[in-house]
Amino acid sequence: MTALLALEHVTKSYSGVRAVDDVSLAVARHGITGLIGPNGSGKSTTIDCLSGFQALDRGRVVLDGVEITGWAPHRIARAGLIRTFQTVRVYDALSVLDNLKLAAQQAAPGGWLDALLRTRRHGAADRAAAARARELLALIGLARHEAVPAAILSYGQKKLLALAAALMPRPKLVVLDEPVAGVNPTRIREVETVIRQLHAAGETFLIVEHNVDFIMNLCDRVIVFDQGRTLMDGTPAEVRKDPRVLEAYLGAGA
Amino acid sequence: MRRFAGVGAAACAVGAAALLPTVTQSNYLIGIAVSACLFTVAAASLNLVYGYTGLLSFAQLAFWGIGGYCAALTVATFGGNFWQGLLLAAGLNGALALAVGYPALRLNRHAFVIVSLSFALLANLIARDWTELTRGPLGIPGLPAPTLFGFAFRGTATFYYLALTYAMLALGLLYAIASSQIGVTLRAIKQNEILAQSQGISGLGYKLLAFTVGAVLTAVAGGIFVFHLTIVDPLILDFYYMQTFLIMVIIGGAGSFWGVVVAGVLMSALPELLRFSADLRMVLYGAILVAAVLVMPDGVAGWLRRRRVERLRAALQ
Repeated sequence: MTALLALEHVTKSYSGVRAVDDVSLAVARHGITGLIGPNGSGKSTTIDCLSGFQALDRGRVVLDGVEITGWAPHRIARAGLIRTFQTVRVYDALSVLDNLKLAAQQAAPGGWLDALLRTRRHGAADRAAAARARELLALIGLARHEAVPAAILSYGQKKLLALAAALMPRPKLVVLDEPVAGVNPTRIREVETVIRQLHAAGETFLIVEHNVDFIMNLCDRVIVFDQGRTLMDGTPAEVRKDPRVLEAYLGAGA
Repeated sequence: MRRFAGVGAAACAVGAAALLPTVTQSNYLIGIAVSACLFTVAAASLNLVYGYTGLLSFAQLAFWGIGGYCAALTVATFGGNFWQGLLLAAGLNGALALAVGYPALRLNRHAFVIVSLSFALLANLIARDWTELTRGPLGIPGLPAPTLFGFAFRGTATFYYLALTYAMLALGLLYAIASSQIGVTLRAIKQNEILAQSQGISGLGYKLLAFTVGAVLTAVAGGIFVFHLTIVDPLILDFYYMQTFLIMVIIGGAGSFWGVVVAGVLMSALPELLRFSADLRMVLYGAILVAAVLVMPDGVAGWLRRRRVERLRAALQ
């Protein structure tokens, strides 16, 4: 089976420093792939590169057989790759429900005129988006708060809202950038459960995280980065045993 | 329920506005009402561009002035009528908005402000210096009353109905946009454009739409306004107008449709209400503005919204 997402020899430098150095990796369809590594190992830059927020210096990105190298972020999103952000991003002044409906908007049929004239097509798409949004809100436990502005949610609730928003358009691949950073332990288990349920429903995930336990519990495959390169790529059990990984994380002699 | 209350309030306001000339015979008061109609359209257009989309655009002043010149020149120089003048104002400014907006909206928000400011200054310069076309600082006086099927909109009260009708149409369109999914998307782009991009929303297309709609509606309002003044000269591009529109948006609450409409009407009347003291008029006006901004930095609508959010937050805990 071919990979859903493939990076081939991706390189990206910032003012002479190679943040990502000739990285090739593949994300399998229907899997949960984890990406871990110490600070500054190039995880975030890799995500920015594959989602179009940073231009590559060299290399190719292929999503489901289509080369998306150099595409604008919104085009990559429409092609079915949706990412979230490390610093939680939601639309603070919009309601929780509107936050989710917006996330599905580009996948819906109809243009500006449909929206302006409130055509039947627009109404149908709007109701479908609202139904999908309520399903996801029930899953993340925010069903009671659909009408409140996102600003009043707690940090952990916003993280969950951002996760739900990423799933609204039923993307081919969801890339989560540190979904549990700064989230309290109870809520971390909640996020884990939600991801498992969505995975069971057929979603594919690529998850970047500092929380190694979270990744080891959840993922069927783990890629370890160090200094802009792939250090290791295997099952959680293999990664746990690898001495190079321990060294990269804990320093020599650990 | 809230929706019906809103529709009712709007209908009452339109009814009251339509009856104004039967209540007062004063051309002075009705003249203020004409200005209020047209200023409110310009402010509500700026609200779409700045309040909803987050683009501080001084180009609105250029569109207002160029719209005025288009309408006046069509009648005074090109041998057309008032309606053709408004059509030219709409068409030319729509094209200008696309031509200026497409490159300028690719820049960051700060650079966009500078481009829009330069555009407004350039329009002013052309109005002053291209004397063969614009007649320079002397302007084009004596613009005739518009006519429609032989009926002349002569006299302030008659002209008022023309301005009011346009204001209703333009505000209706702006409301339809602001309350639709397009309005929600514009607010989303203002709040977090990176998130919007990551969801497949192209910011440029939406920004260009808001900028162009704002340009066309403002230009036609400017075109009608110069026929109310019966003269167009470079003062139509004076920053006084930009400042007025911006104050209406800020006091009303950027991003609130009704806040800005109400502020547009009230702030058109306020400088006149302060006329009882000719010397202190502008000082009082300034003092009211400073006080309003200090107490309500996000305008009246923003103040009300914040109270609501605080109540919700309290209820949640």
